[in-house]
Amino acid sequence: MSQPAARSAAVTDVSQPPSLARGRVIRPQGLRPATRGVIGIVGFFAVWQLAGSLGLINEFLLPPPSALARAYYEAISSGELFENIAASMMRVTIGFLLAAFCGVTLGIVLGWSTTIADFFKPIIEGLRPIPAIAWTPIAILWFGIGNGPGYFLVFIGAIFPIFVNTFAAVRNIDRNQINAALCLGANTKLLVFDVLIPASLPVIFPGLRIGLGIGWMCVVAAELIAAQSGLGYAIQQSRVLMQTPNVLVGMITIGVIGFVMNVAMGQIERRLMKWK
Amino acid sequence: MKPAQNAPCDPQIVIDHLTKEFAVRGDGKMLRALDSIALTIRRGEFVVLLGPSGCGKSTLLSIIAGFQHPTAGEVLHDGKPISRPDHHRTVVFQDYALFPWMTVLDNVAFGLKAQGISLKQRVEVAQHFIALVKLSGFEQRYPHEISGGMKQRAAIARALAPNPDVLLMDEPFGALDAQTRVLLQEEVARVAFETQKTVLFVTHSIEEAVFLGDRIVVMSARPGRVQRIYDVPLQKPRLPETRRLPEFVQLSEDLWESLKPEWQLQ
Repeated sequence: MSQPAARSAAVTDVSQPPSLARGRVIRPQGLRPATRGVIGIVGFFAVWQLAGSLGLINEFLLPPPSALARAYYEAISSGELFENIAASMMRVTIGFLLAAFCGVTLGIVLGWSTTIADFFKPIIEGLRPIPAIAWTPIAILWFGIGNGPGYFLVFIGAIFPIFVNTFAAVRNIDRNQINAALCLGANTKLLVFDVLIPASLPVIFPGLRIGLGIGWMCVVAAELIAAQSGLGYAIQQSRVLMQTPNVLVGMITIGVIGFVMNVAMGQIERRLMKWK
Repeated sequence: MKPAQNAPCDPQIVIDHLTKEFAVRGDGKMLRALDSIALTIRRGEFVVLLGPSGCGKSTLLSIIAGFQHPTAGEVLHDGKPISRPDHHRTVVFQDYALFPWMTVLDNVAFGLKAQGISLKQRVEVAQHFIALVKLSGFEQRYPHEISGGMKQRAAIARALAPNPDVLLMDEPFGALDAQTRVLLQEEVARVAFETQKTVLFVTHSIEEAVFLGDRIVVMSARPGRVQRIYDVPLQKPRLPETRRLPEFVQLSEDLWESLKPEWQLQ
């Protein structure tokens, strides 16, 4: 009689730990990470505003958020902000697409053929450490002031991470998948587009994402020196005119757009790789 | 007149004094993986390569597929030397090698797409083979959504879809649990019997070899050689009951007795 009772007690004991464990999961105040992020940002601006209002910081060197809001309102209502955003976005898009096409192509070809890679590797490895900014003077000589240096610097900044990731992805591809495709009769086109690229995409995509981020930094750098429009040009002009709030408006906009682009790339990545 | 035992009537794959050597990393020595292999596989025959690991059986299959080249000798497929992989000899891999970004249907239809067959016809043919391996209803699943046994079924359907002359199976059930393995052996026996395909099957399981093979090629290791070829005296189709027949038990025991010394050396 006592034995079944003991057994049933043991069964309940076994079912106990998981529910206990669930109770132990740390979830402070039940806040979602996004909510905490918003609180962080609001808190940051509040402290900044407070420090400004109390006269703790020089208003010319670091205007408080209220001054930025005014500058933002003016930049938006005059349409100037959107013109500059459009100019920068256009440059980064064209430069990035060129870099994506060339970087992925180069990565696939060199990843596939060790012989061709041997020819190109030293050149690529020699060019790679040169920061995109260091290309600015020669870009101005080649393309003059305007869109040209922007496209070029974005291209230079973005192509290397894209190439490196594609190259690594193709080099590390599962040999059996290639063999499977070959024995099923795949020709080069099918092998590249239906096997090689999709198989490499989980590694190529982070490269594209990093490339776009760097490209976005490069376009601003190019516009600081070599353009007559764009967010980089706008902050440089505002500096010359001593309009500190406008400098910060431009900087914040650059940050926000960079953030949004990264999130968008993450969304595209998730959608493209739903098989993961 | 009955043909003499082991005499090839209608040879499909002829392996002629094939030797394969690999360069050993570091020193300049060559390691001989396969030593003067001679073997003829007849049309419609189910041949099993059986041996301990390191006997080169997978290397031999890989050369027949066209993935690797022999150091000496050659392999003929219907009289023509094999130089590269093509859809007349498709492979089922131990790790499935399904394309994870494609659904089961697209995986199975891949070889048909390679032949330039229209989408409508591809789907039709692929669905036929998916039904053959009993995967109907899972066409739209991705490989990560199905079990190991189902993945291997999908891989078998994918290999059969382009209508190959020869199906090459490289330890296809090595990664599966014992029960799934038994079930899939029965499926492969049925599918091979129904489709009348020539099959070359690599394994290190004696039971698997006896259950599936018409002939069992026993290989010895370092260097890989053909030790002996056994005819399997069992009727086709092979059914679950086959495993209980005295001939099945007897041959399994004989094989184990002859292979034991090799295995103990490992």
